[in-house]
Amino acid sequence: MSSEGTQKVTVASYVLLALACIIFSGVFAKHTPDSWWPAWLQVFDFNILNGSFGTIAKSTNNFRGVGGVGARDGFLFALNLCPSVILALGLVKIVDGYGGLLAAEKIIRPFFKPLLGIPGITGLAFITHLQSTDGAAAMTKELFDDGHITDEERTLFTTLQFSANGTITNYFATIAGALQAYFVVPLGLPLVVIFLCKIMGTNIMRLILKMQSKKSTGAEA
Amino acid sequence: MSKPVKKNAIDYFIEGARSGWTIGTTSMLPNVVMAFVIIRILNVTGIMDLLGEWAGGVMSLWGLPGQALAVLLAAFMSMGGGAGMAAAMAVDGVLTPVHVTILAPAIILMGALLQYMGRCLGTSGSNPKYWGWQIGIAIFNALIAMWILRFLLLFFGDSPAAA
Repeated sequence: MSSEGTQKVTVASYVLLALACIIFSGVFAKHTPDSWWPAWLQVFDFNILNGSFGTIAKSTNNFRGVGGVGARDGFLFALNLCPSVILALGLVKIVDGYGGLLAAEKIIRPFFKPLLGIPGITGLAFITHLQSTDGAAAMTKELFDDGHITDEERTLFTTLQFSANGTITNYFATIAGALQAYFVVPLGLPLVVIFLCKIMGTNIMRLILKMQSKKSTGAEA
Repeated sequence: MSKPVKKNAIDYFIEGARSGWTIGTTSMLPNVVMAFVIIRILNVTGIMDLLGEWAGGVMSLWGLPGQALAVLLAAFMSMGGGAGMAAAMAVDGVLTPVHVTILAPAIILMGALLQYMGRCLGTSGSNPKYWGWQIGIAIFNALIAMWILRFLLLFFGDSPAAA
């Protein structure tokens, strides 16, 4: 994991990060004769790589069949979903392994203070929270204990973490696994919406803190 | 002292894939089975139909049927439970692909908040004075995300109005 601190950010890190964004965005999902890009670029699409199950002979259904209910049906359904989770987390690990997530941290770090009201030093804990709820929470406590962030900044930072915690792992393990077969938008789009809402929520908390501090200053005066 | 072995892309993939298998079988599978059983209970007892009637008005604000409320309630307890519940309802035809797409970001944004109160807010030592606000904001994020998705769906051919 990126929080191990043994990786370096190289050109490959940025390339892999960009590649992962492309793969999960679904831009190369559908190729038509009118497409401006060659068909082989479909190899950079998550669903193409995920493929499909074959069907049982003389049937149009895969091993799950149709008409099942209850725990037995749930079991086969969940088994159906495992390849997506395995593939998604395998791909994310490659990006992480080559420093792609640290590259993301470098890109976003300067925007932390203006966008979220928290200092850039929280960048690594932010990247960690995308994969590990507990790791990021421990790092946040350490940042506060070492005096790098104030109590207010910690409140803002935990607001950011709290909603959609473990974002990448949870998204790809639960949403991509269980629901992406039903999606009518590219797999990456709901993830973008999730990040936007996390930023929005943090700024709501920023506003609340500002209003409260104004109130207490007014009361003191 | 021996030098650490440098990993290549294949090693990383296998490592991630292994964790995917572990998560898939030890977290997702039990959650999905649980969700399917709950759905079965709700269907057999007729509660699912009642939920559809009671919550229909509120959930229609997001273009969703009343039964979708069960997905959000399950998500509040556990993300896997919420996703499993949505999948089970999609299998039953209660939720359409458009509904599932609208619900997806909400399941994550307001997912497992009960657990995260301890694991995130508690562990980080976040000021308890603001926990209530933080829970409210997480739920608010989820509700707004569903509206954003509903709006974005207008550009993907599957109009939510048709859902």
